[in-house]
Amino acid sequence: MRTKILLDEEEMPKRWYNVAADLLTPLDPPLHPQTGEPLKPEDLEMIFPKGLIRQEMSMERWIEIPDEVRDILRLWRPTPLFRAHRLEEHLKTPAKIYYKYEGVSPAGSHKPNTAVPQAYYNMKEGIERIATETGAGQWGSALSMATSFFELECRVYMVRASFDQKPYRKSIMQVWGAECVASPSELTNAGRMILKEHPDTGGSLGIAISEAVEDAATHDNTNYALGSVLNHVLLHQTVEGQELKAQLAIVDDYPDVIYGCVGGGSNFPGMVFPFVPDKLKENKEIRMVACEPSACPTLTKGLFTYDFGDTARLTPLLKMYTLGHDFIPPSIHAGGLRYHGDAPLLCNLVHDRVIEAMSFHQNEVFKAAVTFARTEGILPAPEASHALKPAIDDAIACKKTGEEKTIVISLSGHGHFDLSSYDAYFAGNLVDYEYPEELVKQSLAKVPKF
Amino acid sequence: MGLKGTDGLAAEAVARGAVPVSPRRAEIALAELSGVDALFLTAGGDMGESALRKSGQRYQVVYRPPQEPTAEDTQKASSTFIEEGVDLIVFCGGDGTARDVSEVAGLQAPIIGIPAGVKMQSGVFAVSPKAAGELVRGYLEEGLLIRETEIVDVDEEKYRAGTLDTKIYGIAATPYKPALVQERKQIYSSRNEEEFKEEIAVFASEFMRDGSAYILGAGTTTAKIAELLGAEKTLLGVDVIQNGRTICRDASERDLLRVIDDEGRAKIIVSPIGAQGFVLGRGSQQISPEVLRRAGPENLIIVATPHKLKETPHLLVDTGDQKLDETISGRRQVICGYRIAQLKDVEASSRVGMDQSGSF
Repeated sequence: MRTKILLDEEEMPKRWYNVAADLLTPLDPPLHPQTGEPLKPEDLEMIFPKGLIRQEMSMERWIEIPDEVRDILRLWRPTPLFRAHRLEEHLKTPAKIYYKYEGVSPAGSHKPNTAVPQAYYNMKEGIERIATETGAGQWGSALSMATSFFELECRVYMVRASFDQKPYRKSIMQVWGAECVASPSELTNAGRMILKEHPDTGGSLGIAISEAVEDAATHDNTNYALGSVLNHVLLHQTVEGQELKAQLAIVDDYPDVIYGCVGGGSNFPGMVFPFVPDKLKENKEIRMVACEPSACPTLTKGLFTYDFGDTARLTPLLKMYTLGHDFIPPSIHAGGLRYHGDAPLLCNLVHDRVIEAMSFHQNEVFKAAVTFARTEGILPAPEASHALKPAIDDAIACKKTGEEKTIVISLSGHGHFDLSSYDAYFAGNLVDYEYPEELVKQSLAKVPKF
Repeated sequence: MGLKGTDGLAAEAVARGAVPVSPRRAEIALAELSGVDALFLTAGGDMGESALRKSGQRYQVVYRPPQEPTAEDTQKASSTFIEEGVDLIVFCGGDGTARDVSEVAGLQAPIIGIPAGVKMQSGVFAVSPKAAGELVRGYLEEGLLIRETEIVDVDEEKYRAGTLDTKIYGIAATPYKPALVQERKQIYSSRNEEEFKEEIAVFASEFMRDGSAYILGAGTTTAKIAELLGAEKTLLGVDVIQNGRTICRDASERDLLRVIDDEGRAKIIVSPIGAQGFVLGRGSQQISPEVLRRAGPENLIIVATPHKLKETPHLLVDTGDQKLDETISGRRQVICGYRIAQLKDVEASSRVGMDQSGSF
């Protein structure tokens, strides 16, 4: 019985897949935050390199991966696909459970898949410094590593709740030569304004984005980089899904369902987008399920509308599911999933019912994570564990139906920096938060529209 | 019959420090205060003087009680402390003592209770005598945050008529140390409870724009909602607010039923009262089973700060109507911040053996 399904280095994808070419409904354009007019490429040039802007706006189905980028991705790619035999036995399920593990990257998650090309395009265009934000620290770590490969400076604004929870994230960023500061910080206007009103806030991704964008806009030769949400980020992550397809083909299998966690959208879209044409054009019966926290249930309870990507309203307006750019999600332990919006490409497909979404509470998520760790060994990140919960439920349901369903989990990263969260879980200190959807709707009904 | 607290027995207070009455417990609290630079004002004999003398603290007796002090002496001593302009009043006792002290002190000076009574549901009590001492030291040396909290006690009138019920008797100010009373720091950071009350109030002020009549129960969290709306609210009573205006002040059950009939519907906002976390059936009796049934249990909105929720493992209802209690109980959303809720277990108190009528 095969446990690891591996590809050779040469089988690593040579192209990225751009799902924008295959959508049922064309993507609504991002709007300029001041004028409300559709964004032009030159509007983005202040904070992004042209190479990435072209990808952001591209309608080409396939985009070549530069050799310099592939050479670096080779350090950990292709990533392994595991058959979870031990978990299956533990659950006594007839289902076949696979997990594609992105935690083998040096930064411990899928984030380097886009950090490397982003740093590369910035370097190519002579940029010397990058500002970014990070929620749980995965993205900040990945970009720190990528910028060190291309000898760029890097400053990371890390959401304070996570900064305090995971001090070693800062340490690893320092090893890779980056500067990591807790957000909100005193270094930007956006940060100072928030601190004045809420001196003790745990911060949010929306605030950290405001700080990083402001930093990039106000420093010479500095660009901004984002680890999720934007089209080019999702594009870069499609190496995952392409590999997954090839790996399953080796064992002559195909997913009935793929579960992946979603914060702003990068790992999950990267894993499932290559399967979207199969569903739309070849009528394959595949379910793609985005898994999010009940405390920040953007896709399951948000409104599908234009909203800002950040708290300070500096970013373009994006058409997406949103809980409101002023919503600061509670400090759950899956810090990487605390974002009020989601990637427009992903939202488009959820809205068109090509992709489904479900939400889960953190205690049940940690319970699933522990079951996984005790059977498969890998200690999953709390974020990634959101995909484990429904996968395990699904496998248990198969016991009753006898269905030999093929369940694929996108396991986006390890949880070695999240041990204090596991401690809190075992101590019974995790609170199950919920989004009061009805009362929020009632509030929004009478709030003047933007 | 069990004991009914230490009311009438004792009450102590202190200026810039503490004083005990239930000697052993007071001594434990005072032991935490060695080296504190403070002058203690106290009442004579067992009302503080003896324990302070033992502890070696610098003190001054400002009130001399008779041989057998009563509740009146607690009040007289407290009133002397206020006149002397103390920074903090510390007493040792239960809910009855808390009432006596807070009735006089109001919000003029913060209060810390060293738990030594039978019933200690008021929010001024530290979790233990040692924690009380730590709180006093923290307040004096680190300037801890102050929060407003409810003073609750048994409703004596009803108690005499054979019903156990808890009533809110007042609001007091009390220092609190986040680490001693709330979640792990890494989860809540050091955000204070008042900030969360504000967040809840801002959210409520948004959803309350729907034109419905809102029945607001007693307590400081619901009071904050009214304050933010600029509407009048009785702290200890039940009020009805509609479109940002108070349409019925200090409402009786009959008033509430009339409002529901006139409006055709109403929504109810309540907050857990006291250390046991009663959301219904203690404190706001006007929100009767009939009021709840007519408003519809689905229109019950529970609000509470994360701090309060941390202190109460589950919330309790005891409306006196078991069927209704069962309808309301279960996993419910409790609004705990701006557009944020927690899922908490709400239980019928009769089912979890928390109805303490047998213990009196």
